[in-house]
Amino acid sequence: MLETLSLMGAGFVNALTPINLLMMAAGVAMGIVIGCMPGLSAAMGVALMLPLTFTMKAETGLIVLGAIYCGAIFGGSISAILIHTPGTPASAATAIEGYQMTLKGKAGKALFTACYASFWGGLLSCISLYFFAPLLAQLTLKFRSAEYFWLSIFGLTIIAGVSGKSITKGLISGAFGLLLSTIGLDPVTGAKRVMFGQAYFAEGINTTCALIGLFSMSQVFILAEKKIVERAQATKFTDKMSLTRDERKMIRPTIVRSWLIGNIIGILPGAGAAIACFLGYNTSKQFSKHKEAFGHGSIEGVAGSEAANNAVTGGSLIPTLTLGIPGESVTAVLMGGLVIQGLAPGPELFGKYAAMTYTFFAGFVLVQFFMLGIGLLGCRGFAQISRLSDAILIPCVTVLCCVGSYAIHKNILDIVVMMTFGVIGYLMRKFDLNTAAVVLALILGPIGEKGLRNALKSSGGNPMILFSSVVCWVLIALCVVGILSPMFMGKLEKKAEKEATGADPESPDEVVDIDVEND
Amino acid sequence: MKMRKTDIGVVAFMYLVCAYFYSQTITFKADSQTYPKFTIVLLFGLTTLYLLQMVAAAKKHGVESGVDKVFADVQPVQLLVCLVGAIAYVVLMYFFGFYISTVIFMAAILLYLKVPYLHSAIAIVAILALVYFAFGKFLGVRLPVGTVIKALR
Repeated sequence: MLETLSLMGAGFVNALTPINLLMMAAGVAMGIVIGCMPGLSAAMGVALMLPLTFTMKAETGLIVLGAIYCGAIFGGSISAILIHTPGTPASAATAIEGYQMTLKGKAGKALFTACYASFWGGLLSCISLYFFAPLLAQLTLKFRSAEYFWLSIFGLTIIAGVSGKSITKGLISGAFGLLLSTIGLDPVTGAKRVMFGQAYFAEGINTTCALIGLFSMSQVFILAEKKIVERAQATKFTDKMSLTRDERKMIRPTIVRSWLIGNIIGILPGAGAAIACFLGYNTSKQFSKHKEAFGHGSIEGVAGSEAANNAVTGGSLIPTLTLGIPGESVTAVLMGGLVIQGLAPGPELFGKYAAMTYTFFAGFVLVQFFMLGIGLLGCRGFAQISRLSDAILIPCVTVLCCVGSYAIHKNILDIVVMMTFGVIGYLMRKFDLNTAAVVLALILGPIGEKGLRNALKSSGGNPMILFSSVVCWVLIALCVVGILSPMFMGKLEKKAEKEATGADPESPDEVVDIDVEND
Repeated sequence: MKMRKTDIGVVAFMYLVCAYFYSQTITFKADSQTYPKFTIVLLFGLTTLYLLQMVAAAKKHGVESGVDKVFADVQPVQLLVCLVGAIAYVVLMYFFGFYISTVIFMAAILLYLKVPYLHSAIAIVAILALVYFAFGKFLGVRLPVGTVIKALR
């Protein structure tokens, strides 16, 4: 206990160095810019900025990525409130009440509420991160090769089912990624495997290039296929960005409820901020003493949605850092950042690398304060950025994708690989396949392979070793749950969305008038 | 939900991937075949499952093209220009280096997408400055100089 407390304290001391503080501010600002632009998504932003963290210390790099993540989730609310177009799907529910407030000349109040609720949601989520992450990491100490194999499969079943229309297609995406992960030298014998006659592929497919291609470059093609239209003028607001004492008191219970919802949703692999925002919004409506205000600009509605989506951030880091199972696209990219730094999720992060991990946690706490400050001070400026045309974003993001890929090994072939994955990612998204599952498979593939082969080696080739322990069976059961959970989560999201907007998201006749541009 | 004809392409592609990887895998040493074979069987099995789901959907609800849904509101020429532009950008970068190729690529795409000249100029300068300071100075990345420029030096 005392040791943990001292690690926590040391984490804050390390996180408070000038370079870390500077990086937090820069990361949050970048995240808000990315989040408030309806053409860009949080996962894309984190992927794009990944190469910038290569030369940084592991903790600083992770803090930057965490800052971009938090900033982007909050940033989505700015365009949701001012132009009725959520920057990210996580702010879809915010647009319902936020835009109504804007129409009534209360945009400043709505933005303050979003910022304030996001801050508390994010900050409170750090409590569970500090509390649950080390406990869960201890569990993995019991894992042997066979368990690691099943863990990699579990991770894939979880992510494969997320955000796609067909679970089978999600699983196909994961299997496709696993197959791609076999490219390169055999990790055990060193034999060449599917290298297309190129020594470049000896180390396999560069995960970062694949990641940038699948998330960022494919988004460029998605933007390029659409007709370029001028975005709506962001409303210029003149009202004060503040809440009265009574209003703050009123939204306090809403924030606490949404924190709990967001946190649980974040911890559950397979669910994400998009679900949390609607659940947070609906719960705030159910418990509100001013139900009549909902649909006409309720600050409780804005607070409920924003606290919930930001509470997801800390929660979602728990399975990512402890089990290596990211629950959604952004944390899959974050895990890529962890792996690139030469770190593996699990007990080592809380043992050998505890100082680094607790510095990251402390940084994550401080990031929430930067989000509050930068969010409040820069709202007016960010609102103007959110109008940036896709026509400008297309070449700019292309250039950043190319430079980012090149920066890894200073090899132009990396750009070619990134571009190839950009096209693959675009086609995958068009045909409802899951790009996040491919990325995760590329990361988990080698772990699964080592687990499978070492297990078979130790048993003399007997596959029954994969079913030899209770933990194996628990993981197999979790795999089944992982496959089935998207059906439940999908229904939960649809139900929450239906309750929030009053329209059936499946019905073409009842169109919800919120334009969510990202996935 | 009706079966989409476009999904036949997805299934065919996955089978082709399986076939290609299988043809490669059988040439590996026995020990190196285990895991690739496992993933091939997994992908093959899941693709076949999806094929069966498609057949069931076709019998129950009928068949639709799917092209109109998958490529709804797509601007093919614009997409193609951006795709070809991006590929040309990489080729240009190889010969003429990062800065020259970036100016040419960005100017061409911004011009094609009818962005006002002033906005285009600001965007190009901003990106070049960002890359120069973030990657060139901060990370110390030596950006591609280009074979032609190298030869001219």
